[in-house]
Parts: sequence; structure tokens; C-alpha cells
Amino acid sequence: MTEKIIKYVGRTTDFKGKTLWEIVGSLRNLGVGRIIVRSTFERYPEASFMKIVKVETCPDEERRRVRVWVEKTFRGKKLPKLTEIYRTSYKPDYKLIPKNEEEQLLARVAEQSSKPEVVLPRQIEMPPLMKRFIINDHEKKGLEVIKDFMMPINFTYSPNRAHRIAEPGEKATVEFAIDLGKPASPSLYEGVPLK
Amino acid sequence: MSTLHIIIPYSAVFKKLDPRLMQCVLAHRKPRWLPVAKSKIYRIPKRPVVPEDERRELMRLNNNYNTYMRAIKQFYRDEMVKEQTTSNSATSEMSLKLDAEEWARCEELNGKWNAQVSLEREERRKIQLAEMEEYALARMEAKDKQLREKIEKASEEIRIQKELSATFITPEKLDQAIEHALANPVDYNFAIDLQGGRYEGRDSPPVLPKNKDEILQ
Repeated sequence: MTEKIIKYVGRTTDFKGKTLWEIVGSLRNLGVGRIIVRSTFERYPEASFMKIVKVETCPDEERRRVRVWVEKTFRGKKLPKLTEIYRTSYKPDYKLIPKNEEEQLLARVAEQSSKPEVVLPRQIEMPPLMKRFIINDHEKKGLEVIKDFMMPINFTYSPNRAHRIAEPGEKATVEFAIDLGKPASPSLYEGVPLK
Repeated sequence: MSTLHIIIPYSAVFKKLDPRLMQCVLAHRKPRWLPVAKSKIYRIPKRPVVPEDERRELMRLNNNYNTYMRAIKQFYRDEMVKEQTTSNSATSEMSLKLDAEEWARCEELNGKWNAQVSLEREERRKIQLAEMEEYALARMEAKDKQLREKIEKASEEIRIQKELSATFITPEKLDQAIEHALANPVDYNFAIDLQGGRYEGRDSPPVLPKNKDEILQ
């Protein structure tokens, strides 16, 4: 038997896998209880996966969608509510996790929970020029002079937020500073003095 | 050049016009609503290749920068709100007094206008009332006249009927009337000739006119 050769033509894509219907439609009981993964989210070091809870089929259209409710675990954190997947279900980016590999994923989550929690700071120090500007400005307007030069961070809201934001008075485990900070890839800074 | 760019639509017609105009319109760019050019259908743009470590580092730096910028914007937004509220409270007494004065002035002016308007309204009402009265009287008069005419007509009819009633056939006069009718039979049949002569009666002998002139008249 000759080997099947696949030649791809056209634009490349970052997606890798099947659409959700292709997975769910071929499984017994529409795959309730099975675990699926968006391959886009495999870029994170923590485990991200979804356990199918309920499936509703939808009419066969050009982009076949399916309505699926999942227990979502994103970056090692399980969301408190069920998540509905409908609008993104047509994306050929889902992967089914074989039953013998499910244990591994769950183990990764358990490992993650044993690691120290990352807490984000509530406040950030002002940039140097802004400090001087603020002093001048407040003197001119006769307002009280700021002493600590901290400003609150405006975090965007997301149910998928991986790291917790510190409570008032709590100490954060990471600090944002105006300097270069700790590089994510130190190999790029070889021979360059940081700070 | 730029104005021409806006005014002139993309159209093949313009190729036949001034080539200088066309140059600026066709300056290497198609409008967004046109489909992909035939020569570019199968062109596949190369995707940029960013090494993984560079990507991660750039992501981190950009995230830091964005966090900083959001914080700064939020700080200045809060500052502005704070400033506005304080400035408002500082001038509140002054503004209250000014507002009260303005209110009193407006009230006075409004009262004046109201008085003037009420005067005008009274006058207008009087005129309107007079007009209405006049109209109502006229209508009443017309109605009276109509009624009177009707009565007059009816009484005239009664008078005529009374006069005629002398000739009516009553039960007492019935025998006499029958006898009279039998004694004087009337024959309403008649014939005419070509000249228009009229011959009364069906059985009665024809009565010829006395002379020809009579016929012609």
C-alpha cells in the first residue's frame, strides 16, 4: 500500500485540529464526559482543557457549529461557571484527549495548584518624569502634594484571568517597575548589562 | 492632487481621459471594495517568522508597557474628576446666589409676559364672544324666517283647498253628480290631420274648421 501524501496549498494557519462537530459528532453520547483541548491554548505552560458537560446539535450549515457546554480549566484554574461554546465551535482548532491521557492533564493541574500563587500588585510606581510633573502641577494648583507616587493599575476584566489581583493591603508576589524587568528570554540579553 | 483623488471615482472610463488624472487615481492601490486582482489571486503572502524567545520577550515588554499606560491614563482621568468636583464645591455658594438672582429675574420677566398675554386674551375673548352672539342671532333669525314661510305656504294651501271644497262631491250630492255625468257624456278621444287640425270625439262626426287660415295659425 502506497503512503498517503498530503500536500497543503494556500495560506498557512495557526489552527491545528478539527472542528468541534467533527469531534463530538463521531463520539458515543456526543462525547459527554470527554476532554477536549484548544490547541491555541497549549502555548501556556499550565494545562488548559475543557470537559464536555452538555451538547446540543445545530443545523448543518456551511460552517457547522454545535452548542457545547464545558467545564473549562484555563491555565490550571477551573472556572466556577460552565462555559458555552457556540460561536467558536466551527474553528478547526480542537483536539480530543484520549482517555488514557486524561489522567496526565489532571495531574498537571494538581501540580500547578501546589506551586506558589502569583498575586498581581494593585498599584504601580509612577514614571520619573511624571513624578516631577505631578509635584509641579500640584504646587501650582495648590493641591496637597503626593508623597508615595503610586497609582492604581487598571486591570481589564476577564473570566479567564490566570493570576489573582492582590486584595487591599496584601503583598503582591510580582512587581511591575519602570526598568527592563526580568527578561523572559535571557539569551537575548547576553553581554548586555541589565540595570 | 489629493482633492482629485477624492473626487474622481475608480472607473475604466477615466482611462480614456486625461492620463495625468489617471495617474493619481490609479496610484498603485485599488479601493477596498473591489475584489482581489486577477494577478494576485494565487499570491500567498509570507508569514513573518518571529523566533520563540523573541516573541516571548516582546510580549512581556509590550504587556508591561500597556499596563503602565493604562495606569497613567486612569490616574489622570481620576485626577480630572477630582479636580472638577472640588472646583464645583468651591464655587457652589457663589453659583447658588447667582442662580437665585437669575431665577428671580426670570420670574419677574415671566410675570410681565403673562400679564400682557392675559390682557390680549381678554380682548380677544370679548371679540370672539360678540362674533359668536352675532352668528347665533343670525341663525335664529334665519330659522324663524324659514318657519314663517313654511306656515304661510301651508295656510295658502288650506285656503285654496277650502275654496275648492265647494265643488267636492259629497254623499248628498252623489246622486245629482251621477245624473249630471250620465246626462253629459264627455268624449276625450280625438284625431289630428296633417295640418294639425283637431277632430274631437270618436263617434261624433268631424267638425271641419271654418276656414283655412284658422288651421295655419
